[in-house]
Amino acid sequence: MGRGLVRGAVVATLATALAACGGSGGGGGGQGDAKQLTFWMYQDRTPQAGQVIEKVRQDFEQANPGVTVKIVKIPKDDYNTKLGSAVAGKSTPDAGILDQPLVSKYALDGTIKEVPAGLIDEADYYKGALDTNRAGGKLYGLPQDQTTVALFYNKKLVPAPPKTWDDLKRISAQVHAADANVAGMNVPKGDGYGAWMFPGVVHGAGGEMVDDAGKKVLFDQQPAVEALQLWVDLQQSSPRKITDSDKPFENGLAAMTISGPWDVPTIREQFPDLDFGVAPLPYKSEPAGNIGGEDSVVFSASPNADLAWKWLAFLAGAEHNGAVADAFGGFPVHLKARVVAGGPEQAAFLDQLKVAHARPAVPQWIQVNDEIIAPAIESALTGKATAQQALSDAAGRTRSLLGWNG
Amino acid sequence: MAAPALADERVAAGPGGRARRGPGRRRDHLVGALLVAPALVYFLVFLLYPALSALYYSFTDWNLRSDANWVGLANYADLLFDDVKYPHFWTSVRVTLQYTLIAVPLTLVAALAQALLLNAIRRGANLFRLLLFLPVVTAEAAVGAIWRWLYDPQYGLINTLLGLVGIPGQNWLNTPELVIPALAFIAAWQCGISMIIYLAGLKGIPGTIQEAAVIDGAGPWQRFWRVTFPMLRPTTFYLLVTGVIAALQVFGLVYVIFSGNGRSVTGGPEQSGLTYVLHLYLFAFRYDAMGAACAMSFILLVFIVIVTALQFRFVRQEAS
Repeated sequence: MGRGLVRGAVVATLATALAACGGSGGGGGGQGDAKQLTFWMYQDRTPQAGQVIEKVRQDFEQANPGVTVKIVKIPKDDYNTKLGSAVAGKSTPDAGILDQPLVSKYALDGTIKEVPAGLIDEADYYKGALDTNRAGGKLYGLPQDQTTVALFYNKKLVPAPPKTWDDLKRISAQVHAADANVAGMNVPKGDGYGAWMFPGVVHGAGGEMVDDAGKKVLFDQQPAVEALQLWVDLQQSSPRKITDSDKPFENGLAAMTISGPWDVPTIREQFPDLDFGVAPLPYKSEPAGNIGGEDSVVFSASPNADLAWKWLAFLAGAEHNGAVADAFGGFPVHLKARVVAGGPEQAAFLDQLKVAHARPAVPQWIQVNDEIIAPAIESALTGKATAQQALSDAAGRTRSLLGWNG
Repeated sequence: MAAPALADERVAAGPGGRARRGPGRRRDHLVGALLVAPALVYFLVFLLYPALSALYYSFTDWNLRSDANWVGLANYADLLFDDVKYPHFWTSVRVTLQYTLIAVPLTLVAALAQALLLNAIRRGANLFRLLLFLPVVTAEAAVGAIWRWLYDPQYGLINTLLGLVGIPGQNWLNTPELVIPALAFIAAWQCGISMIIYLAGLKGIPGTIQEAAVIDGAGPWQRFWRVTFPMLRPTTFYLLVTGVIAALQVFGLVYVIFSGNGRSVTGGPEQSGLTYVLHLYLFAFRYDAMGAACAMSFILLVFIVIVTALQFRFVRQEAS
């Protein structure tokens, strides 16, 4: 019994214990004349990316004598957990990367600082990327890179990429008809990732997920229903038994998939024989897609806020942002930054970015995405509900959760 | 009344006992206290204090960043009854109970079978013990990657083996009904610690009892059911209790199986792998509801205490 109690207590304290040990590596502070700045970011995607960041760090230290920048790199999957723990333990770094949907949350409760007036000229930046840093009309961070998803297609199976939904369905059916062991399309699933991709498809039918200013849920309307129906229809030529296999697109088992620029070098390196191209997402009535990327913020507890902003502006400035954004796996956010020359697929991503839409600026959006929209998508994809039923039910739940009437 | 009692005490302590033993005793106490101090400090700082803070936070709306506001029992009531705020709470309870009911017996049977085999062989026991124990010390992330491949619907070794005996391949980790059995099977594969404890239990059965049974004409089957298994009852009871507690807290396995490679952790197809602690973790660190997550952990604590008490009350634990 005693043992049971103790072990029960251990799990009972899991959350707090995690919070208690998450603070290591944080808490940069100025000591004496030499100032140290602590900056948290995601683990390097490649060794080359690590070298780029290291070079920029050295340049910054040279331009600011007496300053050392300590960069702490954390695996992306653990980043938000560690950062949340550091905030709770009051051991945040001076500055750090912050996931786009978290900026408005952190801004509203005073965890991060507002961008000081005169730090940057807003006209120098892509509006879409800059807007992901706004909360209540004020700017709380600087974007560092922007990215989007597009359609990857296997050139052997798909000679010319589809432009519209009808093309997509036709080509997918042709591929599967030609070889029953190959799926036409790696259709997203009803999980958090699929729900994240879904809005880009909805925008392609001229729709919106929500109207956050007017507090209206819109994903039970025609464009979203048609977008979900598209995924349902595509499954006819894309059985899950094939697409649930490990890396179906890379292994040539699915002719098309949706992914971002970060996947291009990985596929080229690990699957050199795969001949693939990238095209903008097929659409119904207007080209559209999702915007993603990394924002960067200064934490309220930082004793070196001015220096921290200087560092972030250095990363996001015209001179370095091209290389920095490339190291982060996205595209520059500064209009004058040089885009690092990439492969032939780059044009498709840049085209896609021009029509990309930001995520709804609803603080609880991650929860709505994971707990409500993802299961709704899955119930339609598994045939347990029609697309309309699934989305109407989800919209009702979202209205109740957010306390919206529309 | 006081005098005789005092006298008795002096008698009990022996002649001049107090004068001689007093300081020595105090030193013993001091040494004892010093010896338990590290464990005590660890318990107070890393277990009791966080546990009590978690209890406090379970009555607040803390989100890790802002100040915590007292909300009374609202978190508990909402978790149990509010389907809008926590649509998957009861799903996570059901998933965890299913997992426990399958994984614990499967683990015990696998561990006992392995221990019996190891106990029986003469040569190479050390090698096999090492091999059977390896899954326990393998990094959780590697376990996840290996089993995702084994369960792969296209290339998976498991489907290939089933195909040899004519059973059609399954999409194991993507079919809601199969997710829990598939996870429980992995848990049984990782039964090394239970196996070692069973092995120790087996070594503790006196050879004379087995010999007597042989002389009385008992076959291997009878010897197992009439001698070995009853003698192992305390071991089985211990493994059952600790196994149930561990299974109710399963987290790492589902986390690595259903995350990584761009997938975000929402607990597998149709939340069929959304275990209680994974659900708790998501609310604590992904949905900004640490207060509710703390309440979940206390609901789990109470449940574990009740289940454990019931086992002590109703499961036979003495050897016979």
